Amino acid sequence: MSEIRRVMLRRSRNAVITIFGIMVLNFIIIRGMGDPALLLTPKDPKADQDLVEANKIRFGLDKPVFTCVKSIYPVTNISFDCAGDPFDNQFFIYLRNTVTGDWGTSYVTREPVISIVARDMGWTLVLVGTSTIFTIMLGMVIGAFSAQRRGRAFDVVSTGFGLFFYGMPIFWLGLVLQLLFSRQQFGLNWWPVFPHSQEYDHDLGTFAWQADFVLSALQHLLLPALTLALGTFAGISLVMRNSLVDVMTEDYVVTARAKGLAERMILRRHVLPNGLPPMVTLIALDMAFIFGGAYQVEVVFSYEGIGFRTINSIFNLDFPLLQFIIVIGGVAVVLANFFADLILVKIDPRIKIA
Amino acid sequence: MATSLYSASYWLRRRLGLTEVRREKAHLAVRRFGEILWAVMKHRMGGIGVGILVFFIGITLAAPLLPIADPEYGGYPQLEGPSWEHPFGTDHAGKDIFARVIWGSQVSLAVGLLASVIAAVLGTLVGLASGYWGGWKDESIMRINDIFLSLPWLALLIIIAAVLGRLKLEAIIIAIGLTSWNFTARVVRAQVLSVKERVFVERAKAAGAGSWSILRRHIFPNVFPLVFANTILTVAIAILSESSLAYLGQVDPTVLSWGVILHEADSNSAFLTGHWAWIVMPGLALVFVILGFSLLGYALDEILNPRLRER
Repeated sequence: MSEIRRVMLRRSRNAVITIFGIMVLNFIIIRGMGDPALLLTPKDPKADQDLVEANKIRFGLDKPVFTCVKSIYPVTNISFDCAGDPFDNQFFIYLRNTVTGDWGTSYVTREPVISIVARDMGWTLVLVGTSTIFTIMLGMVIGAFSAQRRGRAFDVVSTGFGLFFYGMPIFWLGLVLQLLFSRQQFGLNWWPVFPHSQEYDHDLGTFAWQADFVLSALQHLLLPALTLALGTFAGISLVMRNSLVDVMTEDYVVTARAKGLAERMILRRHVLPNGLPPMVTLIALDMAFIFGGAYQVEVVFSYEGIGFRTINSIFNLDFPLLQFIIVIGGVAVVLANFFADLILVKIDPRIKIA
Repeated sequence: MATSLYSASYWLRRRLGLTEVRREKAHLAVRRFGEILWAVMKHRMGGIGVGILVFFIGITLAAPLLPIADPEYGGYPQLEGPSWEHPFGTDHAGKDIFARVIWGSQVSLAVGLLASVIAAVLGTLVGLASGYWGGWKDESIMRINDIFLSLPWLALLIIIAAVLGRLKLEAIIIAIGLTSWNFTARVVRAQVLSVKERVFVERAKAAGAGSWSILRRHIFPNVFPLVFANTILTVAIAILSESSLAYLGQVDPTVLSWGVILHEADSNSAFLTGHWAWIVMPGLALVFVILGFSLLGYALDEILNPRLRER
């Protein structure tokens, strides 16, 4: 028991270090990307310099990036300046704000970051949550089926199908589904049933828990959820199949078969308990995307969730929004890995040190 | 006399690098390569992968010789459907989509290959260092690896590409390389951990070999096959990354690649106007090339990975 406790302690220490590293790296690369004050003022070089300066002060971008580092944009021209308070700079303000939860307001919409993130995460939860839960269950069943029928027709078809979808650019899958279900296709008008943009019909106004809003949201969910499901499903079923096949070639399974155990019992008693551990991490990571967003699907369908917002805020250099969204996504992955490890240590007595 | 003649010829052969050992080694390497190729072709998945890749690389190399339209000539009627003259139709600027798909393979493949070479070199160096030295160096390298693996992949890729110089081809290649070395590093590290305990490493150490020479002459040759298999898998990911960046409009639109064609199709709402070939064809090319590299990579991994080979 103390062994497990020591491993978990080390894992938590590593998780904390990784989260801190994510925050630092995130800060550096975002600051190196451009200058939002310039982006938000007219491109004209004769444009009001006072406006640029005013914007910088309003966003807190007039302060040095880090102690003794004035600016890191562009990366070829990093400037240093050691004057002033060593702690009054963007990095320490960012660290303090991340911890205190004061995430500031978006440069573009002037809305508090926290309310934007909360709203978008709700929509991402609807999209990723629904499609992931169904595909995890279906993928595991299909993967187990095809492992049991290794080399037979069912296995060949489902593995081929999985490999085909596994490497597919998911944005392209979204485009093809839009093509199939756009207005006039096969002589049918799919349009009202399968809309291909937004999370619900924005003409209805702000979302409310009323029948027409919910119906609209469900219709708008169909295509993006199907796209995401096809993409995730392939990965789950392939990993499930391969991990079960690995176990099925072990000696103890051959022994079980030799002593005349029914195939069902072999699967339930010997194969599944040993083949499932790799799935735990995979499922945990898929769950983490609820917080990270499904970038490509959300962009293709203009579905305003976290992923869509991230890509948009990269284009707009919306630093406050971007840096917290990315930290949330990164922390979600770290925590998912951590909890997956926790579960693995609990269910698999062989994992002690790793 | 005879002795001096022998020693002169020995000196000459040494000078030219033609020692028996080297000849033997070269011979073995060729035979091993032949064996691996044969094993890949016999492996069902590997054979299909090689077939797909030979087809696409052949088309890429033969593009200048093929009797097709100029991909940048925009004088054809705009937004035509598929016909004998334009098998995939024409786009919004009156360019022949068939020619664009064929020529687009050059950049897609080149970016994928170059980026994965960067990723392979970086991942191998990092993996060797972290596996061989261990201790706090290993710990810090693994944490950096964790950080890269935890950040949202596509966002990280777009941001790094933007930092290195938005839209420039070399920036895109380096950015993709920088975001895809992690897996190789992990695999190399695991292999180094097992190789460095073997007897021949102990012996080299006892004979007084330095770290660098042990890494270069004893550990690297044992890790290389895995790096190779992994690099082939990374090419698939790199091509996927390039197409995603291009689709999001984050690459130079005048440098033709499959992702750029898809970006043009999407921004001209090809799915609404029903120009199916404009969307389907470049995407299918992407899917098959990615599938080809994945199949070859899995096959090589199964053939070269000692852990899997025993099964």
